[in-house]
Amino acid sequence: MTELALRYRRNTTRHEVQASVPKGAVTRVHVPDDDAKAHLVTAVLKARCQPGEELELFGESAADLARAQRDKLRARVGAVSPVVGLITNLNAWENISLPAAYHGSPPLEQVAMLAHEVLAAFGAEPRAFLARIPDELGVLERKIAAFVRSLVSAPELMVFDALEDGLSYAECRHAARFETQYRARQPEGTVLYVDTKEDA
Amino acid sequence: MFQPLREIEGGIQLSLNVAARAPRLRVAPIFESFLRQVYFTGVTAATGVVLRACGLGVIIIAVMMDMLDADVDLAVKILLLLVFREIGPLAAAVVVILRTGTAVSAEMAMMRVSGQTRALRYLGIDLYDYLVLPRVAGIMLATAALTLYVQFLAVLGGLALSPFLIEASFTELTDRLFDLFAPVDFYYSVVKSLLFGFVIAACCCWHGLNPPDLTQNAVPKAVTRAVTQSAMLVLLINAVFAYLVFGILFFGLVKAHV
Repeated sequence: MTELALRYRRNTTRHEVQASVPKGAVTRVHVPDDDAKAHLVTAVLKARCQPGEELELFGESAADLARAQRDKLRARVGAVSPVVGLITNLNAWENISLPAAYHGSPPLEQVAMLAHEVLAAFGAEPRAFLARIPDELGVLERKIAAFVRSLVSAPELMVFDALEDGLSYAECRHAARFETQYRARQPEGTVLYVDTKEDA
Repeated sequence: MFQPLREIEGGIQLSLNVAARAPRLRVAPIFESFLRQVYFTGVTAATGVVLRACGLGVIIIAVMMDMLDADVDLAVKILLLLVFREIGPLAAAVVVILRTGTAVSAEMAMMRVSGQTRALRYLGIDLYDYLVLPRVAGIMLATAALTLYVQFLAVLGGLALSPFLIEASFTELTDRLFDLFAPVDFYYSVVKSLLFGFVIAACCCWHGLNPPDLTQNAVPKAVTRAVTQSAMLVLLINAVFAYLVFGILFFGLVKAHV
């Protein structure tokens, strides 16, 4: 039997949303609307389910978790999502390094190296990129910054929420390389793309 | 009807949370945020208060001696009393409310409305640690420093410029100042300004994090509430302090030197 990184189910009067994401796989989930997408992404990021929802993350049911266990599960998930946007009064480097600096790991030198590598892979000039605040970055650049920030914690499950929203055709091709970059660092990792049916 | 109670409860909770988390100031990004707050509240405000503070000292001495016919002794006493105990801390508090209180409440309300506080939570970053603690600690320290700065400038300005307006020499005024200065004036103003800084910061953080709703319109409402309530709290604390010192409490242990 395939081991699941994520199992999610939500029943409402209008529709039923189900997602089963095998460990190590790349899965695309198309949900009926933005509300359903927000519920799914929020449940996964919070490792917590609302009434009417069922959530299992890495084989553990999120229904009755203690806070410490929930925090541990959350630390294994990363996301590029409008739900986890950048902090507007911090520049890109401060945004990327904030979680690491706050939690004390990984070391900031390691974060800087990762940021330089990933930004170079996307053709950005790291020094100039990292000095800019989010309002000075384009849509794709903001997504890249959010992506690097989530890569820092080496997540086992990476959620790409409406990744192509607001991007041009050329930028979408750039964004498609997020998965390659993630795989290069987490070969065993799981990738989940979430979109609404309209976007798909 | 329950809104004021909710605000009082929220304010108390916020204050206790900040007190309990004080050791977290050592964490790098929190300490950095604290330093930024001290810089913004204290250092950048410092140049703007120079003329006003000097003018304050001159006016006090000139009015006392010229209009009320006070002698040098009384004028210096009143300068010390007013500047150290009342006007210094109040002037600094007004500057802090107008510059920092508005900025902090608007920034936090904006972060709340745009979902940035939610993003911080998803990143495992505690809002009290990262947003509230450095602001409260920074504003407290900067308010105390700004108060001392205003007091120093007002006294210096009063002593240096008054000889041009009244018949008293700088040396005469300075001699009387050193004779009459009591350390209690200094401690009193430090304690009071720290308290002012605390209530301004706590009030503005609370209103910023709890805007009336999550629309853009809520931001100016949160700022207005924060500023109005901060000013009221500062006046209330000032009244309590005045009562404690000039009133009947402390069984006469603390007395005004008039």
